[in-house]
Amino acid sequence: MEFFKTPHIPFMRYKYIALTFTGAIVLAGIINVTMFKGFKMGVDFGEGTLIRVMLKSHQPVGDIRQLLQRVGLGNSVIQESGKSGREFQIRTQQVVKVKAGDQEQMEAHEALANKVIEALRGDATKAELARGMKDLNGLDEKSLAALLEASFPGSGPEAARDIVAHRNVQGIITDFSELQALNLKPEMLTFLKDKTFLGPLTILSRETVGPQVGADLRKKAVMATIWSLIAILVYIALRFKLEYGVAAIFTLTQDVLITMAVYSFTNREINLTIIAGILTIVGYSINDTIVIFDRVRENQKALRKESLEHIMDLSLNQCLSRTLITSGTVFLTVGALFLFGGEVINDFAFLMLVGTIEGVYSTIYQACPVVLIWTQLFKQKKGARR
Amino acid sequence: MKKNLQWKALLTVLLIAGAIFFVYPPGKKIKLGLDLKGGVHLVMKVLTDDAINVETDQEIARMEELFKKNNVTFTSGTKDAVGKYSIQGLMADQEGKTRDLLDQYARDWAYSFLGDKVTLTLKPLVVQLLRDQAVSQALETIRNRIDQIGVAEPLLQRQGSDNLVVELPGVDDPDRIKDLIKVTAMLEWKLVKGGPTSDEASLLQATNGQVPADCEVVKGDPKRGQGGYYLVNKVSVVTGKDLRTVRRTVDEWNSPAVAFSMNADGGARFEQATRENVGKLIAIILDGKVQSAPIVESEISRSQGGIIRGRFGAQEADDLVIILKAGALPAGIKYLEERTIGPALGADSVRQGLIAGVVAILAVMGFMVFYYKMSGLNAVFVLWLNVLLLFGALAYFKATLTLPGIAGIILGIGMAVDANVLVFERMKEEAALGKGVLTTISLGFSRAFSAIFDSNLTTIISAVFLFQFGTGPIKGYAVTLIISLLANVFTAVFVSHLIFDLTVKKTAKKLSI
Repeated sequence: MEFFKTPHIPFMRYKYIALTFTGAIVLAGIINVTMFKGFKMGVDFGEGTLIRVMLKSHQPVGDIRQLLQRVGLGNSVIQESGKSGREFQIRTQQVVKVKAGDQEQMEAHEALANKVIEALRGDATKAELARGMKDLNGLDEKSLAALLEASFPGSGPEAARDIVAHRNVQGIITDFSELQALNLKPEMLTFLKDKTFLGPLTILSRETVGPQVGADLRKKAVMATIWSLIAILVYIALRFKLEYGVAAIFTLTQDVLITMAVYSFTNREINLTIIAGILTIVGYSINDTIVIFDRVRENQKALRKESLEHIMDLSLNQCLSRTLITSGTVFLTVGALFLFGGEVINDFAFLMLVGTIEGVYSTIYQACPVVLIWTQLFKQKKGARR
Repeated sequence: MKKNLQWKALLTVLLIAGAIFFVYPPGKKIKLGLDLKGGVHLVMKVLTDDAINVETDQEIARMEELFKKNNVTFTSGTKDAVGKYSIQGLMADQEGKTRDLLDQYARDWAYSFLGDKVTLTLKPLVVQLLRDQAVSQALETIRNRIDQIGVAEPLLQRQGSDNLVVELPGVDDPDRIKDLIKVTAMLEWKLVKGGPTSDEASLLQATNGQVPADCEVVKGDPKRGQGGYYLVNKVSVVTGKDLRTVRRTVDEWNSPAVAFSMNADGGARFEQATRENVGKLIAIILDGKVQSAPIVESEISRSQGGIIRGRFGAQEADDLVIILKAGALPAGIKYLEERTIGPALGADSVRQGLIAGVVAILAVMGFMVFYYKMSGLNAVFVLWLNVLLLFGALAYFKATLTLPGIAGIILGIGMAVDANVLVFERMKEEAALGKGVLTTISLGFSRAFSAIFDSNLTTIISAVFLFQFGTGPIKGYAVTLIISLLANVFTAVFVSHLIFDLTVKKTAKKLSI
């Protein structure tokens, strides 16, 4: 089965239009980054604390912002995550500007995070805690075991384990009636209702990176990118001719620039996983380029009289079905990741979706035109002299 | 040719068996990272300056004593900077004698005379050694504490010169653990000379607002219900180092307390101090804060020991036992990075990763069979094999599976069929040129190989640099991607070719592709 017989699309005819288009996207990205929104750096790079919480019931983002506004943290980034409408991601902005060492900055971030959590838990929780009640949605297993063991000697640890396991699966306990399924003694359930309450949220995760580690991670990310670009360049230069190496530089740069440009228009943050994604795109996009270059070289040997432009079109067309199929399968898998992979990995999946499409585009309209233009610039002069 | 095939088949079967052996049962063999299992990831810096400062303070005290003993006149010794101090008020005619003393007793220090003052600087090599020791000791102490807390499979590592990385899977009360790790746990018993008073001024009234040279002012720990200020001896009677045993106990009012006993040396000093100070207060100080200051009612014999009380909660008393058993940190630490992943989020990530993985693999397989028919089935088989080999390798190398690692696997599935597609497309072209079935197969593989090799290699190159510069989860991503691509070259080229050779008959007229 075939989608199409080898087509005859004159790709190279539109090369200048395509190059202009590429330039426009990159330019828009640069303008956006430098003059408007800029990149949003994630906690990995040392800015603020990221808290993920799960609420007992659905709440609109506005309500949460209101709660935070009351403690002066209304400018935190609040994002709904997942489909339940109960999970939220809160990024405190860098309102802490402590001049002293890292230590103070780190502690200031942590203090801020505590303030956020307290504000979200609200006054009701505060009142309950003040009455000496325990928050069953915040209690760790050991403390819960100790609490139960005091009144039900011998069965505390086991009951605590069951309750915490249930909480971990559900994310949060919304009602005491859920616990009936755990076969707890009725007296124990009454005891829990008496001594504990169900706080409005559980903390799913909480991450703070101090400025020192942040700077270190940033440096490492840049180093990883630069070194892998250099290594790939050297490899291409060895495998092919100089002009292909040059084309590879342009292609890889375009891969990075376009993906980042598109990414900058979304509300997503740059973190370590995103850097990993960019490097993967770089490594993957060059595959395509190599396959085409391989074909061009082969065709050049067979069809000596044809112009390079024609050979390029021919090679692109010959490989088109392969290009579309392999990019298609990667697109399928990344799409699955994007749709089903969960919130934590969603940014990465999005970046890869962009990168997969972009990788194909960059091969056709960056790698090939550059080789073509380069050859026209330098080889023609040689001919003129003759 | 046939014999060749047999060997290839044997190798493949062996690899499959090996992978199954290593990976079974997967729940136990595949190590999950913190981001999937939940837990605490901490990066901390050991403030090694502390260790140098302690060394400097001790050296100043030692030198002052030495000078006194040898009748060298001086006014005072002061610390100037980290690893640097000076002794002032020297007599010019005693310089030679002082030099001799320093040469003999202060070999770790470089000195220089200027006027009536000698400045001593700790030699760089010694500084290095002390810092290094401080970090190793801190690591050991923290390891002891964590062992006492009872965390399963903790990971403790040095990172760089003075950073430590601690990973504690499955911990659900991170704040307590963080405090337990961070506390210096310097425990001292000191004789109380004045107080407690509610403010510092009234404490120093008896001494005209001056702190006597051999004393210092310490504050009570408000958490222990000990507000106020104490004037205590600078030199401690005994310290945490003199403890032999510590355990949880209850005091006479049945509230939690910590019982201790002293070693022979400490016990003797404790006995003497209590004998001479009956009726007076002795302060028990933890990290510079008075926990309690009981009255010495009678001499406490060296074997008797005693209890520390301070309105502890049960957990607090337990924690005090833990840190006293593990010993004090040689230097303070500060946190540089703190990540806590709750078990609920980790479990959710695994579930969603699995769903995404299954959807991805089904979509790709469906497409391959639909588009390439029987040859597609071949690709599907080697894709499964690829995943199996990947997990086998992960289990064998005890690599950690992280959330980005799962993403790497799923991405790898998408990329793995690239090799099959390259081969199959090539076969189609060769078949279109009218070549025979067997020729088509072997040409397809041999002509596509260079592209397959190149394309996998470039992705591996960037993954290697990711591994080199990445941390934690990103390393996990790089590892899975690299293994997946290596397995891919093997399965999509070697095994796939083998299956074609085994299943396609010589007499076949047409290849199902």
